[in-house]
Amino acid sequence: MNISKFFLSLIITIAMLLLMDPRSFYGLAFHEWAGLVIGIFFILHKILNWGWIKKVTVGFFRKCPGRARFNYILDVMLLAGITLMILSGIAIARTIDFSWLNLGGSRMFWRVMHTSSSFITLALFGIHLGLHWNWVLVRLHLKKSKNGKEN
Amino acid sequence: MVKKISFLILSVAIMVIGIIAFGKLGYWNRSVRIFKYSSDTPFEGRQGRGPEGREGFIRPEMRELPDSIRERFESREGRPGQGMREMNMPDSIRQQFGPRSGERIGRGSNDGGFRNSEGHGRGEFPGGKKINIRNVKWFLAVFAAFTVIAIYTDKMVCLIRRRNGKLIRNSESTG
Repeated sequence: MNISKFFLSLIITIAMLLLMDPRSFYGLAFHEWAGLVIGIFFILHKILNWGWIKKVTVGFFRKCPGRARFNYILDVMLLAGITLMILSGIAIARTIDFSWLNLGGSRMFWRVMHTSSSFITLALFGIHLGLHWNWVLVRLHLKKSKNGKEN
Repeated sequence: MVKKISFLILSVAIMVIGIIAFGKLGYWNRSVRIFKYSSDTPFEGRQGRGPEGREGFIRPEMRELPDSIRERFESREGRPGQGMREMNMPDSIRQQFGPRSGERIGRGSNDGGFRNSEGHGRGEFPGGKKINIRNVKWFLAVFAAFTVIAIYTDKMVCLIRRRNGKLIRNSESTG
């Protein structure tokens, strides 16, 4: 389970970096399709960590460590960022036809939204990784798990 | 100890490159642009498209030109993308990149790309598909810098908490 979580996170990170420049890798078609796929991977990432989400959601306003609370808020912001990124990406897509969705709003607005949300989300991704750095080190066998609860 | 110092040096290097990349990409401006957005303001497009745009940005078709010709072209016009027709350049290059061949379709068009090059979408160039990860390295630098900041901030917070906990325990045992 942890190995699959690790590889999924690694794929999301690499894909996210490649998606930051629409001209990178195989151009706009890759950018748009990979952008949709990363959304699916993100949902999968949430499903794999559903136990933690459930636990913190229930205990958020009760007894909950400050760190878990901060991670939870960061995750909610990441979720909002990813959602905005995909939504605005759909609105300005050129190689895939999403005109049937009728999202409304001007193209200019969605473009600005897409750039801003992706830049903010990348920064949040970096912070998220930094806060889970111990988990990464344990997965890479560079650090020993303290009590076997580095999940 | 050596391990710790080498990690610290590596972290400082990542931070420095990250800060450079942050400035180069215009990261802050592009991040907060949505909060400054109003439908009345004219759209400047992605930074770097205009004459006042992102430093170091080169239009895709300009990237393919030899450096000498690109420099001459930029110094003459002051802005990439103008005066392609009058420019004194070899015929082979003019044919490949000039306005007649590979002329860009207007921004409002849905398919984008180059008119006389079959199968090239926006962001793809004539002469076969290329893997271009030039800008990705700058994004990687910014991403790594944020990660390093988070790691050290987290460590600092843990250290402060541990120290505070120790102080409380000490005061309880003595008092």
